[in-house]
Parts: sequence; structure tokens; C-alpha cells
Amino acid sequence: MGVVEDLAADLGPDRVRPGGPEDAIGGLVPAAVAEPLSPEAIALVLRRAGADGLAVRVRGGGTKQAWTAPPSRLDVVLSTTALDRLVDHAPGDMTCVAEAGMPLAALAAAISDVTTHRQRLMLDPPGGAAATLGGVLACAASGPRRTRYGTPRDLVLGARYVTGDGLAAKTGGRVVKNVAGYDVAKLLIGSHGSLAVITEVALKLHPLPDAARTAVLRTTDPAAAAAFCDAVRDAPVTPALVEVAWPEGVVMVRVESTADGADAQIAHLRGLADIEVPDETAADALAADLAARAWAGADAVLAVGVRPSRLADLLRLAAAHDAVLVVRAGVCAGELALPDADPERAGRVAAAVRALGGNVQVRRGDGLHAALTVDPDPALAGIEDALRRGLDPHGVLAGAAR
Amino acid sequence: MATTAATGAIGELAERARAIVGPVWVLSDPAQLSTYECDGLTNQRERPGLVVLPASTDEVAAVVRACHELGVPFVARGAGSGLSGGAMPRAEGVVIGLARMRAILDIDVADRRVTVQPGVTNLAITEAVAPHGLYYAPDPSSQQVCTIGGNIAENAGGAHCLKYGFTVNHVLAATVVLGDGAVTRLGSDAPDAPGLDLLGVLIGSEGTCGIVTEAVVGVLPRPQHVETLVAFFDTVEEGGETVSEIISDGIVPAAVEMMDRLAIEAARAVTHMDWDAESALIVELDGPESEVRSQFEAVTRICAARNAREVRVAASPAERAAIWTARKSAFAAAGRLAPAYRVQDGVIPRTRLPEVLRGIADLSERYGLRVANVFHAGDGNLHPLVLYDSAVPEQVEQSEELAMAIVALCVEHGGSITGEHGVGTEKACSMPKMFDGADLTAFDRVRAAFDPAGLCNPDKLLPTPRLCGEVPGFHRVHPVERAGLGARL
Ligand SMILES: Cc1cc2nc3c(=O)[nH]c(=O)nc-3n(C[C@H](O)[C@H](O)[C@H](O)COP(=O)(O)OP(=O)(O)OC[C@H]3O[C@@H](n4cnc5c(N)ncnc54)[C@H](O)[C@@H]3O)c2cc1C
Repeated sequence: MGVVEDLAADLGPDRVRPGGPEDAIGGLVPAAVAEPLSPEAIALVLRRAGADGLAVRVRGGGTKQAWTAPPSRLDVVLSTTALDRLVDHAPGDMTCVAEAGMPLAALAAAISDVTTHRQRLMLDPPGGAAATLGGVLACAASGPRRTRYGTPRDLVLGARYVTGDGLAAKTGGRVVKNVAGYDVAKLLIGSHGSLAVITEVALKLHPLPDAARTAVLRTTDPAAAAAFCDAVRDAPVTPALVEVAWPEGVVMVRVESTADGADAQIAHLRGLADIEVPDETAADALAADLAARAWAGADAVLAVGVRPSRLADLLRLAAAHDAVLVVRAGVCAGELALPDADPERAGRVAAAVRALGGNVQVRRGDGLHAALTVDPDPALAGIEDALRRGLDPHGVLAGAAR
Repeated sequence: MATTAATGAIGELAERARAIVGPVWVLSDPAQLSTYECDGLTNQRERPGLVVLPASTDEVAAVVRACHELGVPFVARGAGSGLSGGAMPRAEGVVIGLARMRAILDIDVADRRVTVQPGVTNLAITEAVAPHGLYYAPDPSSQQVCTIGGNIAENAGGAHCLKYGFTVNHVLAATVVLGDGAVTRLGSDAPDAPGLDLLGVLIGSEGTCGIVTEAVVGVLPRPQHVETLVAFFDTVEEGGETVSEIISDGIVPAAVEMMDRLAIEAARAVTHMDWDAESALIVELDGPESEVRSQFEAVTRICAARNAREVRVAASPAERAAIWTARKSAFAAAGRLAPAYRVQDGVIPRTRLPEVLRGIADLSERYGLRVANVFHAGDGNLHPLVLYDSAVPEQVEQSEELAMAIVALCVEHGGSITGEHGVGTEKACSMPKMFDGADLTAFDRVRAAFDPAGLCNPDKLLPTPRLCGEVPGFHRVHPVERAGLGARL
């Protein structure tokens, strides 16, 4: 029997279909696409794959498959989109639990009903409305607000997951503080689905601020932009985001606070530099523009991160390589876009970022993973391999993840 | 027979260790070894076979390599202030004490980070960067003594983690000696390193994934403005409800701490203060001045609306310090209330505070033992202190039962068995209350990936047959699998 028939026998015929061109990842079309309804059904798929030697790739919204290397083999795309419920929302505790296939946008709508409770998940990754919670976590994706609220590792309280050999397990919990057991969620976040399938996540929420105000500085001098960002960091302001877009030379600082707190912080920023203070509608438009800037139309996008003191160098580097850079100044991490996916050119950029002591990861670009990935030191690689063998002993997920 | 073999191994190890660290830094005299038989959980003790005090990463690595070759279990030790038995050694094992490694290696003001050896105390980091207007945010009450190595192992928290997060949110990188003596570096100097977040797993792994020999931690600018108040209530429930209301009002205080009558009495016994109430709630806000001022007004209003009998606002840094002294002394002062006490560390959703505190009071009555509560109310992390008389055998047993009943109560309310003290040996057998066989099996696989030989702080964090008997559904990774020679199908 074929893969589709085998999986249909396990899951029911309506949960499995043959893969088509729209399911291709890195040019490989899977034999089957399975959309299980429960963690137990996910375990069935993985156990079947283990027994039959199938390579499985997990897919949420399908918006970030390019963030990891294309698979070397691909038999089954395991879609999490049927697991899309909000399991629990405890507004008073500022926590919620949702299934991994729930789109982030749907989660946001479900929990931040302004009339009842003013709170939200402070995660604003790229990928648009289709991006699911599980996919965002598996890619450790974040956006501008990480400046104040951190990345998925700072917001996840616990998770349920199914290991490569079909063990349905959990880690952490629902409470905001908890040190019982290993924090396996930290491993799953950023593992690109290579260890286990995330099925459910408990999250920390934050209150919606009363007011937001925005300051914009325009300068094309890297030293001036970096000096302003340093001054913001040292000032009594706690910005939700500080975005620098290069080579345009835009620095956008958004403060979120009480109404008078936000005004006072903006007043302080006026003392630091000659800033514009757009109204919030214009500021929203600028924020959306900056968020899209690195992604729109680029054939290659790299995630880059350097120490904050290297901001000016990073800006110069972007200009020197004709790249578009949008970077969160406080943490000094962002996206660098190149007009083409030429591996040599991308390799030069990556080498330059690494020469600054920085990190580089591929977010988009055919063939770039192989060109830009560097091997970790042997001791680290040993632990990573042992973890893969431990959580995915038959290599069901690993084969398709690399 | 195993013991004889182990004794032989210890002898051999002692010899090798003397060559590595120098003879004065290897302790084998029983009287000296006794100092290392327990941590802050003093009712569980085991005298180690040997104590080695290395001075560098290379020395730690060489000692661990020797342990690995000889099959001798080892445990790292910082200040020994842990409260879950994490640093308790095995009789046939070695304590690797990091007390000599307490140099601050680098202060990088521009990038706001400090590189330290593992034996540096938590407070020493803040003191080192204070001249630059910076501080290290995680602030365990034990911060004067506890080390950054111990903080990393336990993912230590403190009063201010409500707003600023735990150790895991502030450590950027660590140099680690793995179970076989290999040295590696986890984390990165820059954000967004590729690869798995191994540092995130190491932090909070209770010394079972390796020995940290160097750490890079982030430091923060001191907030522009701080406001602190203490509010007194006639009931514990009103204090608890006030906490929920502050949080759901959209305010994220820097700290929200609570003490009940017994804890207040304890603190009064050791400090000059006149607090007298069924519960005291300490609320601190920090940040930009105008934001703090308007939110502080809101907090004061909420306290009044919840029938606070009195609200005292700290009018000066000295008054603020006095409030915190009262809070931080309550814990150690519990010794004034009874000959002995056990401290628990359960967590509950913070909206459940009133009912769980009532539940604890009921349990206390049922067991006929007093329980003092002094805790991190803002994040629902309870620290019930079960008071008892160690000279009365029934009380020893009953206090243990009561403590475990409180832990169970926390789990029933959707919480955790530990918020910051760790599982250690103390709560290893309680892990099945929270985690089923599959969860524990997955945890064990993670542990085995870091330490296949199983020599790195064994008998901690996970239930072992030796400590707890068999746990249904929990499959430990077999040594053959650990070595990567086979897999369970
Ligand atoms: C009065 C009092 C108040 C406390 N208040 C708090 C509090 O508010 N918040 C809180 O979180 N904790 C608190 N604690 C608990 C304790 O102080 C913390 O767990 C602390 O992090 C332990 O540090 P230590 O150096 O004493 O570690 P130790 O007790 O020596 O060791 C603890 C664990 O860490 C491991 N370890 C130590 N050094 C290393 C290393 N270099 N590498 C790898 N593993 C290592 C040990 O093997 C052990 O498992 C308190 C304790 C006391 C006595």
C-alpha cells in the first residue's frame, strides 16, 4: 500500500490526501499530507513513519519553511492546522493556553477583546495572518516588540509535544513561575520541528498599554543613528520598540505607557535629538512599512544579530553591501535583505557580520542554507545529535528538517 | 562490593585531583568533608567521599575527566544555600566546590554585560556595576551569599522577577564542563545564534547537565523612579484579592510580596518594626517617573478599596530599605517561632491566592502545626514555612506530610511543585504529581543527551528507584541507549 492509504487507515480518509505541487518544500513534493485532529493522531503518524522509514516535515501556516534548510527527503507533510483551539484563557492570571495550529492572528483576536480584558500576546513576528503559534515558536520568530517583551523563550510557560517516536509529553506548566523539570520548551523553540511536534502552548500575556506615542529620527549618518539609540537606551524611557531602517536612515521609537507617562517619555526624547512626533495613525503606517521592508521583494533575507555596541558598524555594513536592513536597536538583531540569492554575495555579507562577532541565519534564499551554515563546535554538535537521537530516535523529523 | 570498588575509585581520584589542583585543595578529612554534607535543606545529609576545590575551567575539566574515567559521581557546589538538596553529594561521590572561582573577569558597560566565574555571588555583580548606574536584576533573598553558578543551576528568581524575569532571562552565555570533561560554550555574545537553545535547558537543570565555569550575564540600568508601599489587611484573603486586582488592572509592579501574621511576628522578632496585621502586602513599582506615579496612585486606590487598614508609603530610600529588610528577614527569622521549619515553594495561578491560602490554613489546623506564609504573591509563588519541633518524632513526620499536602494543593489548583528552589532530592519523588510517565521519560532523554554516563549530580530532579521506588510509565534511558549503542523500539 502507499503512504496515503497507510496513513488513511490510521487517521481516517478525510485526514489524509496526496501531496501536490503546493505542498512542495525545497522542490520536493510529499507523497502525503496528513492533518491529524489530536496529539494522539499525530503520534500515530510519527510511529507509522518510524516503522516505515518515512521522512516527516511539520507544517503550520507554511510561512516559514524557508527558515530551515530544505529537506533531503520528504514523504509526509504533517499539518497542525486542525489543532486550532484556544484551550484556556485566564485573564486575571494574564495567561492563556492554545493549540499549536492556531493562527497567531486568531489567538490575538480571541484574547484581546478590549471591552472585557485589555491584554495581548506580545509577539509580532513576520509571516502575516497565516502564521501559527506552533510554527512561530518552532522558528523562534519574533518582531519589533522583542525589544521590550523578549522572544518566544521569554513568553512560553509550558508546552505539550509529541516526540519523533510518538511519545505525547508535556513540559513546564501554566503558571508564570515554575522550575520543575527540564525546560524542554526552550529546546523546541527554535528547533524548526526537528525534535518533536509542538501541539499545545501555555503563554504569558501582557496588559495593553493605555497609550502609545512615537518618535522618529531621520539621519543617514550611521554614527548619529547609533548615538541616538545609545542615548535612548540610557534615558528614562522604556520603549516597546526601537527600529532602525537602513539605508533610508529612519529610527522609530515607540513608547507604550500611561498617557502622561508616554507624553513624558516623548518629551525626554525631544531633548535627545531633533525628532518628529507623528500621530499614531501615521506611526502605525510607518511601523507596518518597516515591518514589511526587509521582506518585500527580496530574494534573500538573513537574520543578523550583533552586540549593541556594533550597531553603527552593522549599518555601514548594510550600506556597503547594498542591503536593506531593519534592526531592533536595543537588542541589535534584525533582518538584512539582498536583492538576489547569489550565495557568494550572501557569503560575503555573512562573513562580514561574523567578523563583527555577530550571528547569521537564513530566512529566505534558495540554496543559501548550505552556503552559509557553519558547523558548531564538536562538543555542542555532540549534544545536539544526542538530543535528536533521544527525542527522535528513528530520525523521522530530522531527515526532513535538514 | 560496589562500595569497595567505589572507595578504591575515590582513592585513585583523590590522588589524581591532588596532582590537578594541588594537595591543599583536596579535602578528605572526615571533619572537613562534613561541611559539605548538605545544602540549605539540612534534614537531608550525606558525607561525600571527597571534596575538590579547583581554580580554573581547565582544572574543573581535568577533575571531571578523572571522575568520568573512574566512574565516580560528582556534584558542583556554589554557596550551598540551595533549599532542595541540589548540592547534596553521594557517599561515594565527589563535591566540586567552585568557591575559589570568584573573579569578575570583565565589565562591559557599553554592551551592558559582565563576565564572571561561577563562584561570584549574585550581589557582587550588582556591586561591581553599581558605579555605572547598572544592576543585575534577579535578586534572590539569599543574594549576599548565593553564587551565579548556583543561580544558573536553579534558574533562581527573586522578588523582582515579576517584572524582570528569572536567571534564564538574563544569562547570555556560559562556559560549561560537560559530564565527560569536555569544555564547551553555550549561548552567544550576540543575539539569535543558530542551533538549539542548549543554554535555555542548562539553566534550571540543577547541576545535572554540566558544571558552569564562566558566565556572561546582562545588567540593566537602574530605573529612574521607584515607589514602595506596604498595606496592612485584617484578613489574608483581602491581601490576596488585592494582588489579583492590581494585576488585572494592567499594572506590572516590580514586586508584590506578601506576609501573613506569623511571618510578620517572625520579622518583628529580629527587626525594629511595629507591623501588626493579619497580612501585609508590599508593592513596589519602578520605571519612568510619571508612569510610576500614576500607576502608584492606582495601586493605593485599589488597596483602599480592598479595605486596607493602613497604607504606608516609603518616603525615603531608608524607609524603602526598612520594608525590604522586614520582608527578607522573615524567612530566616522563622527559626524564632519554632525549633525547626520546612519551607515549600509551590506555585499557583495568582487569582487562586485567597482560596489556596484558606486551604493551607485548613491543612495547618488539621495537622495541628503552624504555617507561616511569606511569599512572592505577584507571581503566585508561595513559601509556606511549616513550623515544628524536631525533638518530637511525630511532628517531624507530620510536618513532612503537611508540607507535601501543600505541594499537592498547589498542583490541584493548576500550579507547580516548585517556583524557584528546584526539585533536587527533596521533591524528586513529587515529580509524578505534576508529570506523567511520558513526561518523565522525555526529561530523562534530555538528561541522557547531556550526560550519557549519568555521573553529573545523579539522584536529583527526576525520581529514581533508589529515592522513590518505581514510577509507573516512566522509562529511564538504559545505559546502552545512553551510550548511543541501541534505541528502544
Ligand atoms: C535564606 C534563603 C533565601 C533564599 N531565597 C531565594 C530566592 O528568593 N529565590 C531563589 O531562587 N532562591 C532562593 N534561595 C535558594 C538558593 O539561594 C538558590 O537556589 C541559589 O541559586 C543557590 O545558589 P548556591 O550558590 O548556594 O548553590 P548551591 O546550593 O551550592 O547549589 C545549588 C545547585 O546548583 C548546582 N551548582 C552550583 N554551582 C554550579 C555550577 N557552577 N555549575 C553547575 N551547577 C552548579 C549544585 O550542584 C546544586 O544542584 C534562598 C535560600 C536561602 C537559604
